Amino acid sequence: MAEAILFYLFAIGALVAGAQVIFRRNPIYGALSLVGALFFLSGIYVLLAAHLIAILQIIVYAGAVMVLFVFVIMLLNLKEEELGEQRITAWKGIGLAAVVASFGVIAWRALGPAFPQGALMQGDRRVDNALLVAGFGGVKTVGRILYLASILPFEVTSLLLLVAVVAAVVVAKGRI
Amino acid sequence: MDFFHAHQAQHYLVLAAMLFALGAAGVVLRRNAIIVLMSIELMLNAVNLTFLAFSRFPLVPNSPMGSFLTGHAAVFFVIATAAAEASVGLAIIIAVFRSRTSVNVDEFDTLKL
Amino acid sequence: MNYDPNDLYGVLPALILSAGALLLLTSEVFLRNVKPAVLGPAPGPAEAAQRELPPGADAKPQAAPAPPDRRYQAWVAAAFAAAALWAALSRLGDPAVPLFSGAAVSDGFGRVVAAVVCAALLFSCIVAFSYLESLRATRGEFYALALFSAAGMCLLAQATDLIVIFISLEVMSLAVYALCAYLRRGKRPAEAAFKYFILGSFASAIFLYGAALAFGATGSTRLADVAAALRSGGPSGASALLYAAVALLASGFAFKVAAVPFHMWVPDVYDGAPAPVTGFMAAGVKAAAFATLVRILVSGFGDASTGPRGWRALVIWLALLTMLFGNLLAIPQRSVKRMLAYSAIAHAGYLLVAVASMASASPRADATQGLLFYLASYAATVIGAFGVVAIIERRLALSGAGDDLSSWSGLSDRHPGLAAAMSLFMVSLAGVPPTAGFMAKLTVFRAAIEAGLAPLAIFGVLTSVAGLYYYLRVVVYVYMYPSAKGEPVQGGRLLSAGLAIAGCALIVLWMGIQPGTFASLTQSAANAFGR
Repeated sequence: MAEAILFYLFAIGALVAGAQVIFRRNPIYGALSLVGALFFLSGIYVLLAAHLIAILQIIVYAGAVMVLFVFVIMLLNLKEEELGEQRITAWKGIGLAAVVASFGVIAWRALGPAFPQGALMQGDRRVDNALLVAGFGGVKTVGRILYLASILPFEVTSLLLLVAVVAAVVVAKGRI
Repeated sequence: MDFFHAHQAQHYLVLAAMLFALGAAGVVLRRNAIIVLMSIELMLNAVNLTFLAFSRFPLVPNSPMGSFLTGHAAVFFVIATAAAEASVGLAIIIAVFRSRTSVNVDEFDTLKL
Repeated sequence: MNYDPNDLYGVLPALILSAGALLLLTSEVFLRNVKPAVLGPAPGPAEAAQRELPPGADAKPQAAPAPPDRRYQAWVAAAFAAAALWAALSRLGDPAVPLFSGAAVSDGFGRVVAAVVCAALLFSCIVAFSYLESLRATRGEFYALALFSAAGMCLLAQATDLIVIFISLEVMSLAVYALCAYLRRGKRPAEAAFKYFILGSFASAIFLYGAALAFGATGSTRLADVAAALRSGGPSGASALLYAAVALLASGFAFKVAAVPFHMWVPDVYDGAPAPVTGFMAAGVKAAAFATLVRILVSGFGDASTGPRGWRALVIWLALLTMLFGNLLAIPQRSVKRMLAYSAIAHAGYLLVAVASMASASPRADATQGLLFYLASYAATVIGAFGVVAIIERRLALSGAGDDLSSWSGLSDRHPGLAAAMSLFMVSLAGVPPTAGFMAKLTVFRAAIEAGLAPLAIFGVLTSVAGLYYYLRVVVYVYMYPSAKGEPVQGGRLLSAGLAIAGCALIVLWMGIQPGTFASLTQSAANAFGR
């Protein structure tokens, strides 16, 4: 029961904060709402037994990435009149309808019926992955996957981070 | 079994779909460059939630890759990618802002649609 | 599960390209400004600060230190591209080897695409050399980013795991976004990069959601496991998830290959980016993105291709729309760069015809060869065409005029060689014999008829006839119209660009006259998706 209460708490929090991100006019409120959404999601990750990812979410995402966002917002230092008018065009309406329709269909037709009995049953035993594997979602088990099975993506990620550094420096340079 | 536990996986998955749609709506509707970038971050977080929900509540009894924790590894890579994407995106926003003092995408009129 | 060092040989092209990029980045550290005779300021960071100052505001009245000579960089980059090209070609006939416990594969298909990408990079570096030198904008980072993006493309063509595909896609894309914004003359490059970045990241996120759904349905992100799950039927809830997954994965890549209705970014980005970058983007990104799209659709979802809910119908509709709108929207364009952008959309449509023909197993080998031939011929043609555009553009950038067809008038008087090359590229893009473009269209449409898609092939022929109008208009301007002003095209440093353009022209002719030679190269790739 506690799990259900926590889930609904975090889910409503994440949705409200997510809505704040896209409806707030001033980006600084949006950024702080996004930090809130990330914290709520981190709580949900704990419910999903993803302990390592939940911590990374707070340290890397909410901690480092969002600080970069806030830093850039402050650097640009937008005045009220520079935020611009919010225009609603027909194209935006069509785009919104397409987004809502496609994800409505996915949620209704694919995600909803994906688990006919709610969770996977083997015989009459409910399979709970987190209970089957010792240390599920902890540093040791995830690290084992990360360094052994996922060695190629891990190496390519290091390349990606280098590219991102070089790209950011080139783009933010004053004049070439 | 109560409603939440009977449909536990769907709760997480539908929440992720709603967050993804919210982020996509932000990209479509909002024209403030920074908010568009944050909407994309929101979409990536929804994907992470989907990956984690599927590794906790798998559809198949055994993963062909040996462990369902590959979903957690995928989330790890997505977080790293999102950080890289954000840094380049913010650098591009700074470059745009330097050449003109607006971050409103609707005012980017040099290039016509 | 264990890591085998031999797997690294399979990704050798990407390793060579990354090593070249690292070398170029490191070499920048050792560059010193050429000091003037008088005691100059300390070299290094002061140089940047000094260039920011407007003339006259300089406190020290001595001559500004000249920037270091960076001309070696283009040739180093080209040498590494050539080495990677050799690495890809030398193993062309070897059997397919799975790498890193199935995360990637080294097969003929990936090697041919890697070779196309490396050759595109090689020619683009030479074109960029003269362009950047005449604008005094050479930096090591430019070539490093180009090499990094090519490394991402090579990995993308080899990846068989959705997560590896996603990360390689980001390596490629982030480098290309930065290349678009590289030159900051005016507002256009940064805005083009921004538009590309937002739509590209949006597409990546959609792709990733599809990957997550595929992971949910199969418990794995490997394409082989997805195919196995499709074949066995899987658990009851999985099939709907897999249909949603393939739709999302395909729409993510439809953005990257510039298929209508996901094409909005193409004209602006192609127009705003520097011409050598546009050429590389049109050739390399398109080749890598199509290779990945084919790998996902055929080796991952090959069993869900036909039938009422298969992806073939989706691809056929995309191909129809893309061929139609790409050609129609290109007709009113007066800027050659924008015209080439819409033409890139139209060519994505013809390539999608090849993808649709790969849906059924029997014509798959022919369609694969057609796709690879088309990618290679399009790469050669478009890099040559943007090489000529780069020469025109740099003159426009120095004189401050806008890009319009009228700036092409009378080119044949001043530069008969360039005019002839440009006409050849236009004729090849239009698909007129005896050029590569004709043979490419022929192989693709023949495979389509073999696959029972004759109406699609006929539609393709009709739209390419419509395309003749806007391609030949450029030729008419080049040859028939007199030069508007008697201004000379800026001489000097045309030699290296001319070399690259002549190389592309030779390849275009060679592939048009002797298509068998190239077809024998792609023989090993043809059966990459066979059973």
